[in-house]
Amino acid sequence: MTTVEEAVTQAPVERARIVGRPTSSTGFWSWFTTVDHKKIAIMYGTTAIFFFLVGGVEALLIRIQLASPNNSFLDANQYNQMFTMHGTTMVFLMGMPIAAAFGNYFLPLMVGARDVAFPRLNMLGYWIFLFGGIFLYSSFLLGGAPNGGWVNYAPINSTPMADGFLPGRGPDFWAVGIIMLGIGSVATAVNFIVTALNMRAPGMTLMRMPVFVWMMLVVAFLTLFAMPPVTAALIQVYIDRNFDGNFFNAAMGGEPILYQHLFWIFGHPEVYILILPGMGIVSEILPVFSRKPLFGYAVVVFSGIAIGFLGWGVWAHHMFTSGIGPVAVAAFGLSTMLIAVPTGVKIFNWLGTVWGGAVRLRTPMLFALGFIAQFTIGGLSGVMHAIVPADTQQHDTYFVVAHFHYVLFGGLVFALFGGFYYWWPKIFGRMMNEKLGKVQFWLLVIGFNLTFFPMHFLGLEGQPRRTYTYDEGLQWEGLNQLATLGSFTIALAFLVFLVNAFMSRYSPPAPSDPWDGRTIEWMTPSPPPEYNFAQVPVIEHRDEFWHRKYTEDDEGRLLRLPAGAAVDTEEHEHLEADGHGIHMPSPSYWPFVFALALPILGYGFVFKNWYILAAGVVVGFFGLVAWALEPATAEDEGDDSGAGPGGGHLASAAVEGGARSRPIVDEGVH
Amino acid sequence: MAQAIAAPSDSTELVPAAGDHGHAHHATNTGVSNAKLGMWVFLSSEALFFGAFISTYFLYRGRDEEVGNPGPRPREVYDIAFTSVTSFVLLMSSLTMVLALAAIQRGDHRRLRIWLLATAFFGMVFIGGQVFEFTEFYREGLSLHTNLFGSTFFTLTGLHGAHVTMGIIWLLVLWGRSMQGRLHTEHAEAIEISGLYWHFVDVVWIVIFTAIYLVPQN
Amino acid sequence: MSETETGTETGTDIVAEHPGETLEQHEQRMHEIAPRPELLPMLPGEIKPHPKPRDYVLIAVVLCILTAIEVGLYYLEGDVNDNLLIAMLIVLAVVKFFLVCSWYMHMRTDQPFFKRIFVVGIVLAMIVYGIAIATFASTIPSEL
Repeated sequence: MTTVEEAVTQAPVERARIVGRPTSSTGFWSWFTTVDHKKIAIMYGTTAIFFFLVGGVEALLIRIQLASPNNSFLDANQYNQMFTMHGTTMVFLMGMPIAAAFGNYFLPLMVGARDVAFPRLNMLGYWIFLFGGIFLYSSFLLGGAPNGGWVNYAPINSTPMADGFLPGRGPDFWAVGIIMLGIGSVATAVNFIVTALNMRAPGMTLMRMPVFVWMMLVVAFLTLFAMPPVTAALIQVYIDRNFDGNFFNAAMGGEPILYQHLFWIFGHPEVYILILPGMGIVSEILPVFSRKPLFGYAVVVFSGIAIGFLGWGVWAHHMFTSGIGPVAVAAFGLSTMLIAVPTGVKIFNWLGTVWGGAVRLRTPMLFALGFIAQFTIGGLSGVMHAIVPADTQQHDTYFVVAHFHYVLFGGLVFALFGGFYYWWPKIFGRMMNEKLGKVQFWLLVIGFNLTFFPMHFLGLEGQPRRTYTYDEGLQWEGLNQLATLGSFTIALAFLVFLVNAFMSRYSPPAPSDPWDGRTIEWMTPSPPPEYNFAQVPVIEHRDEFWHRKYTEDDEGRLLRLPAGAAVDTEEHEHLEADGHGIHMPSPSYWPFVFALALPILGYGFVFKNWYILAAGVVVGFFGLVAWALEPATAEDEGDDSGAGPGGGHLASAAVEGGARSRPIVDEGVH
Repeated sequence: MAQAIAAPSDSTELVPAAGDHGHAHHATNTGVSNAKLGMWVFLSSEALFFGAFISTYFLYRGRDEEVGNPGPRPREVYDIAFTSVTSFVLLMSSLTMVLALAAIQRGDHRRLRIWLLATAFFGMVFIGGQVFEFTEFYREGLSLHTNLFGSTFFTLTGLHGAHVTMGIIWLLVLWGRSMQGRLHTEHAEAIEISGLYWHFVDVVWIVIFTAIYLVPQN
Repeated sequence: MSETETGTETGTDIVAEHPGETLEQHEQRMHEIAPRPELLPMLPGEIKPHPKPRDYVLIAVVLCILTAIEVGLYYLEGDVNDNLLIAMLIVLAVVKFFLVCSWYMHMRTDQPFFKRIFVVGIVLAMIVYGIAIATFASTIPSEL
């Protein structure tokens, strides 16, 4: 057995590396190496809100420009950059990452997991998002931001720069930046899928999962399948622009319409990628503040899945005016009407949840109700687009702008704010101010409708989108001024939110279950410890936490069970006193290093510079190999020299006992 | 015991950790390990990626002739005998890959390393053949710019080659770990997962080889 | 538990302790010590054990023959109807695809769950790209 002893004594020497493994889980630098899904979620959220602000400022500049006819506040190229970056930011740097923030924080908590399935891949996703965002915005300093619209249509964006269709390298930045962000999104999607399918607490069958988790699962599948087509299309655009390729070059027989197909095969599922997390959040808020279970849980889940499926069969309704032929147009018109059915079903389920409930109009509930009202308006104007002749008339007018802002702002953003107010106490351990919250809600409702409702009329009167000004005498001045006024009201509402968020530092600590919640994330202290649950709960019901708090008497009235039956505070104290009792993944440098390689490669591609490319390859290769050679948990490195399977700090007696008395049950998808 | 509460997978994304003794899957709901499920999910995403380029190739197939674009046509540059040999080599690398898996499952680490290296070597032969083919085509006047065939052919096969290259690096990392003695029999799954990727790249080539080389062109 | 002990227990990791031996000695020892292929331990997610190396080689032989037929068909171009050739080539490619997926990627012996996820991706790709390509057929004049 000498070999073993030698191995043990030599082990530390063998494992000596150029850079040691990061160990600290607190302090400034820990944010760069953390694999904790909750910390990563907070970083996602903070960064996304920052980009939300930037995108909002761009929107305000657009609104100032359009406030009066023949305005010269922005010139055409500046205006093009503004609407392109506004759309890009709100979709890729705000909508998707903020959903990733909520998903990261609450998907593991709601299924009773200690972290996501691949903690370092999760970390990679965040850093790619941050670097991708910085990369896109650095274009402002490097010859001009993308200016060909958030859809980056060919051939205007795919024609080589030398031909002078669009000034600057904007389309290159856009193509490379979105490919980069796509890599991060797919990594996060794989992570969420595996976490939701594989890491549920014992007893949490698929049909006991909270609706938010279900929606994130559908979103993850949509992301997984939607990013590749657009990646392919953007590679083709990049080659057309930089190597004089012919993919979309009509002079050589290329088909610009192919780009539209590939883009919208991604683009329409993307709409559901953006809205389904919002639907999930609302489906969590409504039952809690109505004190009723979600009406028709199974129907809500299946209509979410149905939306996910049907979302793949409607993409060409964005292309009705591109001449794809009457058969295709008729078929896609029909499928577009069809997808309104599961969406309508959901709206009725939400109404059914509120109906007859003991409704408490707290801020999260207000935002959830605002979501239903405004999303319905956006949904209705969406069905109008399924009618092909009407769509042909409305195409590329402000009517379309009004429609998708009702869906994505009136829908998604309201749901997100609802989510912030609802989960803020869980994430930061402080309540947000209820009064300020209500002020923000009403400011937002007024500002939002003031901004976007007039756009319906402007669109029907023919004001084109993506055009930097309009002539006098078209009777558009009044409504445009109204919209500009509204947009500043929205900005004010946003300011109130920021003040509220900041002031929450000074409010009293939040209890672990401030809203009388139903799902198991409220069983943890606020904020939850790094390991989430001292004992992973065994799930016996949908709305598990509610069933641990309440029971029914013979006549069906709610009875509160004795306090303390549910929250396992004792074990937490025990464990915290213990230091760390639970085996958690260790922090790592390498996902950060690997993510850093992507923008370097990106600049290399945009400027076609072999030295930068080579530097990116070296950094990426180094990060990837170091990552591949590093075990997931630092303690496991001891295994090589005989620390024993399972490694790390063994659980305290209490936890071991808990684990034994509640055996893991394999169930679910087989 | 510790595994039952260690909820996050011990296995890493690319190469399961040294400490992962392959037990992590016992704690999952589906009974399969996170890493393997993650790889399959990723591969199904890749299907749409390659699908886009193959569809683009088909859409533009033969159109150069129709619109009268300048030369060379596929049949003027293809050397089917040469490409058949490199395709055959890639196909055989799939065999050596599964033999590597069988070896580590038996605990035969020496054979494992031989087969891993053989697989990586076959992959490199394939890539070498592709580099030769590309330079040859370019010399004969075909570039991304020449015509639709040039754009679609180089993009599709080039991206496939990039995937093979990633696979080679991955195999060599696994080989290096095995040489360090940090890839144990319990890590057979790491070989299986890298194998899944490798075979996927191989089946994509099966489709590409038939679709763009063998199918009759006008 | 040490690496060595693990190895002794399961009859694995034997190579590590015999760094100097030749390949022949190694094979001899493997032949004596290693479990028979039918005793291969099952990996997570499997419902049946993996195929034996002999099966792998057999599949490789079949794949070789199919590839040879494919390349042979190529040289028949012009002598045989093009559509027939295309149909045969597609069938051969599909057969090869399935052989690799089911034997080398272990779809035969793994949980069908993996297969389903992969099939979703492939079918989705075929449907959406098929429809996209089909819309071009109706819009472009057949003879440009």
